[in-house]
Amino acid sequence: MKVLMKPIEMIAWFTKDKNPIPLRYRIVDENNLYRVVKVDRVLFAEEEKLAGNRMILYRCESTINNIRKIYELKYEIDTCKWFLFKI
Amino acid sequence: MKKRIIFHIDVNSAYLSWEAVYRLQHGAAIDLRDIPSIVGGDESKRHGIVLARSIPAKKFGILTGETIYSARQKCPNLTIVPPNYERYMKASNSMIKLLEGYSPYVQRYSIDEVFMDYSYNSEKNFLDTAYEIKERIRGELGFTVNIGIGPNKLLAKMASDFKKPNRVHTLFHDEIENKMWPLPVDELFMVGPRTKAKLNKRGIFTIGELAKLDREYIYSWLKKPGLVVWEYANGIENSPVRNTPLPIKSIGNSTTTSYDVDNRRESHMFLLALSEMVGMRVRNLEQCGRVISVSLKNDKFYSYSHQRKLSIATDSTNVIYRTAKKLFDEMWQGEPIRRFSVSISEFYSNEFQQLSLLEDYNEKEEILDKTIDKIRNKYGYNSIIRSCFLHSGVRPIIGGVVAEEDYPMMSSLL
Repeated sequence: MKVLMKPIEMIAWFTKDKNPIPLRYRIVDENNLYRVVKVDRVLFAEEEKLAGNRMILYRCESTINNIRKIYELKYEIDTCKWFLFKI
Repeated sequence: MKKRIIFHIDVNSAYLSWEAVYRLQHGAAIDLRDIPSIVGGDESKRHGIVLARSIPAKKFGILTGETIYSARQKCPNLTIVPPNYERYMKASNSMIKLLEGYSPYVQRYSIDEVFMDYSYNSEKNFLDTAYEIKERIRGELGFTVNIGIGPNKLLAKMASDFKKPNRVHTLFHDEIENKMWPLPVDELFMVGPRTKAKLNKRGIFTIGELAKLDREYIYSWLKKPGLVVWEYANGIENSPVRNTPLPIKSIGNSTTTSYDVDNRRESHMFLLALSEMVGMRVRNLEQCGRVISVSLKNDKFYSYSHQRKLSIATDSTNVIYRTAKKLFDEMWQGEPIRRFSVSISEFYSNEFQQLSLLEDYNEKEEILDKTIDKIRNKYGYNSIIRSCFLHSGVRPIIGGVVAEEDYPMMSSLL
């Protein structure tokens, strides 16, 4: 996997007790077009607080261009921003 | 009394490590700690000094506090990153939170140094705990620390300074002779360049040589401060680990201007902007101060100051400003000024006040100050400003590294 750390637009499901669950996100591809990706499965989520900055790391699985891909998303709690971290 | 076990936890190159970890978390490919890099202020605003350096930068002979210009001459491909105090507060707070799980007595000594009293926990060996803390901080928070362990705060602090980074050291009374006495005397807490020069002149170069002096001799020579460093050299110090802050004795703010100020009007504006900050802080403390002082640094880097005692204590921005202005006018020689500072001390409670027949007291001013504070707290510092600052290029309120939050400063008191 390669580190990208690209900001993305996200639709997530905020639950009562657990971490928010990413559902579907939009990313600008190399041709400057929006691409929508549906998150098929969250393999695991873990919180990190490096340097005191809380982020939730998600390892996810999606089908992109008919290929199953595993990648990582990050949610920064203080700023409420989502990133495509690694793919 | 039971033997005390004090920890001193010191973050290795704090600002730089925190910045490095933050960047790695945000997907940076390079760890700043592995390359010659520094955290430095903005040169164009004349805040261009090295605030923190990486260990590879240290190998180039770059010193904390030197100018970025000279640092770059020592290492041309130096990476320079700007400081971000909000981020540092976050990192520091996360470390305090982790430590509070180990002892109820945790004292934040500065943003990157913490004292912890571990005397009350006898179930677990303190060395095991120290290694556990060190590893947890590295694993969970991503940066490394040095932990010094001693029977008091001074020795703990000396111990954490031994070998860096990512180490645990102890310094108990029986270890002083081997571990601390051979060190040069300026390594001792509270011995700065001037004390060092004085001691060197009489042939005292190591901490051990200072410790072995006669107590009466050092007292007759350097008086009380001399006695303090002599006691430190002998490992004598017994202040408690304070988990409540010490009472504040003075409040002051200063600024290095981005250009030399050479006229009265602009100088007054800088004083006003500083007075605004000082006034807000005094009122926030619910105290009034009686002594106002102003200090200036001119373009030749020469500093001088002036102070005045008021007949009634005040917390009013206007009174502080008027006094500061008077002090400035009395001492200013007309030369360009690069640094202004305003401070207030000798505090009294602001609950009630002895008024004076000889001075004006304006209740309206007090109400106005309070109202302005409220507006600023609610809508931000720049929501209401004095009109003289409009289009002036001078910020209307100056002072402090983090305007919104209390930033723990270094202190000479342990």
